[in-house]
Amino acid sequence: MNPPRLELRRASKVYQNNGQKLEALHEVSLTLAPGTITALVGRSGCGKTTLLNLAGAMDFPTSGEVLIGGRATSSLSENELTALRRKRIGFVFQFFQLLPALTALENVELPLLLAGAERARDTAGERLEWVGLADKADSFPYQLSGGQMQRVAIARALVHTPEILIADEPTGNLDNASGDQVLGLLRDAADRFGATVLLATHSAEAAAIASTRVQMRDGRICAVEGS
Amino acid sequence: MQPLQLFRTLILRPLRRDLLRTTLTILAVALGVGVVIAIDLAGDAATGSFRSSLETLVGKTDLEIVANGGVDERWIARLAALPVNARFAPVIETQCIIQGAGAATVYGVDFIAQSRNAGGESPRDLDTAAIVSSALAKRIGVHEGDSLSLALSDKTRAFHVASVADAQDAEFVLLDIASAQQALNQFGKLDRIEVFVSPREDFTRVEREIRRVLPASYRIEKPGTRSDENQRMLRAFRWNLRVLSYISLVVGAFLIYNTISVSVVRRRPEIGVLRALGASRRRVFWLFLGEALLFGVAGSLAGIALGRVMAEGAVGLIADTVNSLYVSSRPAAIAIGIPAVATAIIAGTAVAFISALAPAREAMEVTPVEAMSRGVHEHHARTHVRRNLVWAILIGMIAWPVLKVGPLNGNPIAGYVTTLLAIAAMALAAPAVITGLSAMTRRAARVLFGPEGLLAVRGLAASLARTSVIVAALSTAIAMMASVGIMVGSFRETVIVWLDTQLRADLYVRPAGRTGAGEHPALPAEAPALAASVSGVEAVDVFRAMEIEYQDQRAALGAGDSAIVRRYGRLRFLPGEDREAILQSLPGQDRVIVSEPFANKHGVHAGSVLELPLGDRTVPVTVAGIYYDYSSERGWVIFDRSTLLKCLPHQPPTNLAIYVRKDADATEVRHTLEQRLANYRVVVAPNRTLRQNAVTVFDRTFAITYALEGVAIVVAMLGAANSLLAMVLDRRREFGMLRYLGAAPAQIRRMILLEAGFLGVAANALGLALGFVLSLVLIYVINKQSFGWTIQFHPPLALLTGASALVLAATVLAGIFPAHAAARLNPIEVIHEE
Repeated sequence: MNPPRLELRRASKVYQNNGQKLEALHEVSLTLAPGTITALVGRSGCGKTTLLNLAGAMDFPTSGEVLIGGRATSSLSENELTALRRKRIGFVFQFFQLLPALTALENVELPLLLAGAERARDTAGERLEWVGLADKADSFPYQLSGGQMQRVAIARALVHTPEILIADEPTGNLDNASGDQVLGLLRDAADRFGATVLLATHSAEAAAIASTRVQMRDGRICAVEGS
Repeated sequence: MQPLQLFRTLILRPLRRDLLRTTLTILAVALGVGVVIAIDLAGDAATGSFRSSLETLVGKTDLEIVANGGVDERWIARLAALPVNARFAPVIETQCIIQGAGAATVYGVDFIAQSRNAGGESPRDLDTAAIVSSALAKRIGVHEGDSLSLALSDKTRAFHVASVADAQDAEFVLLDIASAQQALNQFGKLDRIEVFVSPREDFTRVEREIRRVLPASYRIEKPGTRSDENQRMLRAFRWNLRVLSYISLVVGAFLIYNTISVSVVRRRPEIGVLRALGASRRRVFWLFLGEALLFGVAGSLAGIALGRVMAEGAVGLIADTVNSLYVSSRPAAIAIGIPAVATAIIAGTAVAFISALAPAREAMEVTPVEAMSRGVHEHHARTHVRRNLVWAILIGMIAWPVLKVGPLNGNPIAGYVTTLLAIAAMALAAPAVITGLSAMTRRAARVLFGPEGLLAVRGLAASLARTSVIVAALSTAIAMMASVGIMVGSFRETVIVWLDTQLRADLYVRPAGRTGAGEHPALPAEAPALAASVSGVEAVDVFRAMEIEYQDQRAALGAGDSAIVRRYGRLRFLPGEDREAILQSLPGQDRVIVSEPFANKHGVHAGSVLELPLGDRTVPVTVAGIYYDYSSERGWVIFDRSTLLKCLPHQPPTNLAIYVRKDADATEVRHTLEQRLANYRVVVAPNRTLRQNAVTVFDRTFAITYALEGVAIVVAMLGAANSLLAMVLDRRREFGMLRYLGAAPAQIRRMILLEAGFLGVAANALGLALGFVLSLVLIYVINKQSFGWTIQFHPPLALLTGASALVLAATVLAGIFPAHAAARLNPIEVIHEE
């Protein structure tokens, strides 16, 4: 039997701040299957972003485990973690985080270039076409609207066809129309590319596209809705 | 909030937080100011005191009587007979060598008259008596009654210390005038007559009476005239050195501009909030100018201390040049006074103030709305690339006619202004060059260095406002290095070619001891005959050199055998002048040839008539031709020996140039000659040694310029490190993002190093281009106007290539720490900062 794409086992995260302990996440367990969309909902500071960082192998639990493809992230070396991010994980952020010096196409192409992949430009072009921005390939970020920037960011996050797509407030900085477009793409990512999408959101519209909605409060999961 | 409180929170606190960058900026200013101070202090000390130390013993002289070729001693009697209440003292001044103790000044004075005047007894055995100043006696450990050996002119002579004179601040030896004349082969001649006018006497009447009896060719000078002349003569040299020393400060100015710009860009949101809360534009403006002034004052204060230390190193180098090329002087102690401190603080603060004006203005114009959006500043800079380029071209066009302006008050001001304009044009063209280079190298960078290459090239072009400033700073330093390198290299090559035309004899004879500029000790009168008698010697050119005064400026006068020069020499004259005919026209005629610096300095052409004061008369001589010469900036007037002897009889030789027969062995001839002259203190040097010595002197002369360039490069490097560090801090979110996208820390590190390398390449391209232009300004304008010599253009390619590679490597090195910092950033922290 294949291991789950992403699994959190009683994962806790405690930060030290000026000698004071701050528990951001408390014994959270979660299992995510391929092609599903899971939405983390809750107020600011409830631990959504911390959970996303653990799930994206950008941070490690203080106790418990986070397993990606069956391997605990805290057991991986720096090189293995880099390889993991290059092949299996994609990120989308609230503030887009496009590199201002690169064109839209170059931004999308970047993860493939960093990984040394071949045919990077062609694949990037395809992804850009998928998000409907083929005509903006040579535009710089400052020449794009917020919605367009986020679509470029989604194309970039999916250019290497990752198994896991982490999205932190992907519509938080967009108007309704752009937000709807972005949510459509996320749904498409799960359906078309089989990505496991984990998104953190305040928005009811965004949560609505998820098959599973995880309600969080004070670093704990207080309710899970959906399949 | 009170202004001071605002300054503390908005400016001081971030500076404290960013201590490394703050220190780098202050250090850069300190280095810039330090170099200016060091050159000033070392220049003052190296040119020393030209005032006669005799003053400490005999009191202040009221007038001095001098003449080209020396003052005839018979005038003493004529002057003494004048119906004026004044005393006339004959003086000879020269340098001697004391075995194991180096050089000291020797004065020949009238012991008998002086003792009578002082109410004491004159020393016994006047021929061998020496009075030693207490300072010198203490240093060399001699006491009254001890014997003392002095190497004077061509011989070492034994004296006895008749007494020790109380003079704590000056080192000198007094000999009786007759004894000094004998030692120096200077019979009947004095260097000057000092006049002491009684306080009861009418000073102008004394001057008038003296003038009445003396020949018109004699000069009556106020004491200090010579010192002023020396300082005037050194002015161009010191000016150029001083200007060069300001280069580091100019490079530092770019740095302050950059630091304040970064400060403004980073605090745009804070400025926006401040403005929204009611802070006036003026307050914001002064807030950032205050930051710059803080850097200026702190850097200046540190620069004063640094300058004092650097001056110790520079004084020896400058003193060497002064002694080799201008005038004999002994370095004085380095004294840091209020003017130096004031110069430092004013220079450092003014540079800081001016360079911060633009960024402070930019801060002032920030609107609350604009402050909230990121990337506006970069976009702003991008859109101005074309406008800046147009300005660069316009400034370049202005610089061209400025170049045609002649020297102002002897200084090549137009050359300096052109240099500054060229630097400004380059700084304005920098964004266009970076954008162009970035576009051109994008594909290559990606192919050669992968995604890191692409990111590096694009990143630099995107942060144009910042990168163009640091490229401008680096380019200025590189341009200076290249231009001075080309100038010195060309000069060196020109001198080597010139030495080949000038030094054609096989052997040269001169008195041993000091060979400083303006010192021409005599050879024994029998030396030419002794040399000619050596088997294998084909010809002996007897040369006499002396210092003269022409049109209130110091010059050198020489006389040799023009027939020998015609037969063996290859003297080069200005284009269009017939060497053979010129040299042929000299013997027995009142015709001379003059060196190019002399001609330029005095506006002389072939055919001009010089009214040359020589001995008791003024001789009109016609300039037959102008020859290239690089031995003296003061310039030479060369006679045929027969003409000089006609005007000034009994001139002892100062140098011999000996031509050996082709079939004779030059080494053997040299050994025989050395044996024949063994009783005299002379040096017989083969041609090769003389050339080597000349090149050594040349290299030593320019050592200081290399040191100055080195400092400018170091300042630029500090700037590069500072700027790259600022860039890393500002683009930290981008680096964090790259980590999220799968970049390994090593890739981030490589990217920053590539950016540093690209900065170096862009700066090298721009700097070398500017350096080439500036080298032409240096060679054909500044040098020509300052020193009067023509330098042939010979760029030292190997040196330039090496130096560029070094700068490139150093720029990459400057990127190591920022690269390390970027690779260590915590991606989570930087991504979620907002």
